[in-house]
Amino acid sequence: MIIQIEPQSDIPIYTQLTNRIIEGIARGEIKRGDSLPSVRSLAGDLGVNMHTVNKSYHELEKRGIIRIVPKSGAMIQPPMVTTQESPQYLHINDELKPVIAEALVLGMKAEQIEELVSLVIQDLKRMSNIE
Amino acid sequence: MVFTILFLVTLFLAIMETAIPYLIKRTVVFGVTIPEQHTREAKLAGYKKGYSLIVLCFSLVALLVFAVWGIQGNPSEDQLFLVGTAILFAIMLVSLACYIYFHAKTTQLKRQEKWGEDVKQVQVTDLSVRSQDEMLPWYMYLFPMLVTLGVIVYTAIQYPALPEQIPTHWGPSGQPDAFTTKSPISVISLPLILLVMQGMFLMINETTKRSGIKLSATSTEASRIRQLTLRKYSSWFMLLISLLMTMLFSFLQLSTIHEGLFGEGMMLLFPLVFLLVILGGTLVFAFKVGRTGKDMGANLVEGIRDIDEDQYWKGGLFYFNKNDPSIFVEKRFGVGWTLNFANPKGYLLVLGPIIAILVLSFLI
Repeated sequence: MIIQIEPQSDIPIYTQLTNRIIEGIARGEIKRGDSLPSVRSLAGDLGVNMHTVNKSYHELEKRGIIRIVPKSGAMIQPPMVTTQESPQYLHINDELKPVIAEALVLGMKAEQIEELVSLVIQDLKRMSNIE
Repeated sequence: MVFTILFLVTLFLAIMETAIPYLIKRTVVFGVTIPEQHTREAKLAGYKKGYSLIVLCFSLVALLVFAVWGIQGNPSEDQLFLVGTAILFAIMLVSLACYIYFHAKTTQLKRQEKWGEDVKQVQVTDLSVRSQDEMLPWYMYLFPMLVTLGVIVYTAIQYPALPEQIPTHWGPSGQPDAFTTKSPISVISLPLILLVMQGMFLMINETTKRSGIKLSATSTEASRIRQLTLRKYSSWFMLLISLLMTMLFSFLQLSTIHEGLFGEGMMLLFPLVFLLVILGGTLVFAFKVGRTGKDMGANLVEGIRDIDEDQYWKGGLFYFNKNDPSIFVEKRFGVGWTLNFANPKGYLLVLGPIIAILVLSFLI
């Protein structure tokens, strides 16, 4: 899977990396049970600081997407069953809220937002269905 | 003999220096990053041609003068050595001067034309590229070390039979011309130096493997093939050098233990073959890696370009990047590797063995 980052962007590199890895998993470009490269080699390949990659991996672990096993690397976790009480569910809720609020403030209709969400899902699922 | 060796080495250097502009990746011209879209500009092609022509003409004249003088002037070995070395350095200096000139010209051109100034800079990598890496595993480098340990043990067994004077240097004729007195350390100094070098090769292989595989966003496939080829062939070539050195050093050690084991012809031929294989191997390596991915197209995506790394390359030659954990990176001008000078571990890796060898030679 190709990872592309923009070092000069306003978005911090570790956030770009985290988002790109999550997207890669959603698209099925990285399979569950696969492991991510070691922090050192990914940092070397991207020419970025090891702390940046480390921060991104810990962020992914905190969100329950990967599990960092000392000595053997970062494994992609199987999907969790998310009930409305699970911390992952709450996290997604917190993340979505300001975006949806912004959309409403800007004048988007509820149907438009729902349509947009399903378009994004379609786009992400397209790749994984081909395989 | 001295003449042939010097002539071959000079010829080798001339070929390499002339060919360099055509062996490096097209997005770096004289140590300056050029966005993919502009790599085919006529002016840049002219600079490359200019460099190669100047270096080639100078080298040819130097080689010709050296050949005529060497064959007709009947110089002594010392004179030959002095002049030959001077010519080698002269070719290197002329190449460096040309490089500096064209580096400045390219920098100026890039600034004038504002190449890539409004284009978004991106860095890419492929998560699966590591699984395609074909560098040799570290334990392959243990085999020559085992041979060296064998030679040391054999020397210890043969200790009483060894001569009172242990050779420390061999002249161009292949015969020893400097000696030291026999002692338990001096008899194994040669294999010990060899062991240090073999250890250094092992470490370099491992550090290179851990260094980044740098892909280009605008020619991902070409850069992937080039990086993987460079890594694979470096690894093989370094093992070859390690094996050849093991053979040469073991050969010299055996000729010390058993005087007269090898005839004069062998003593002359062996180091020469060693030199020829190394020079030939370097040429094959440089051209093989240098031409890799050259004819592959670029996947030009509008509005993006590779990261401009010029700020990390002092003079386009020396890489200083504190953020990059890589210790070795691909050279910008030339085929092979250079150190990330911002990483102290690199200094240790290169200076450590040299210091160890110096300490060993002072102990004797």
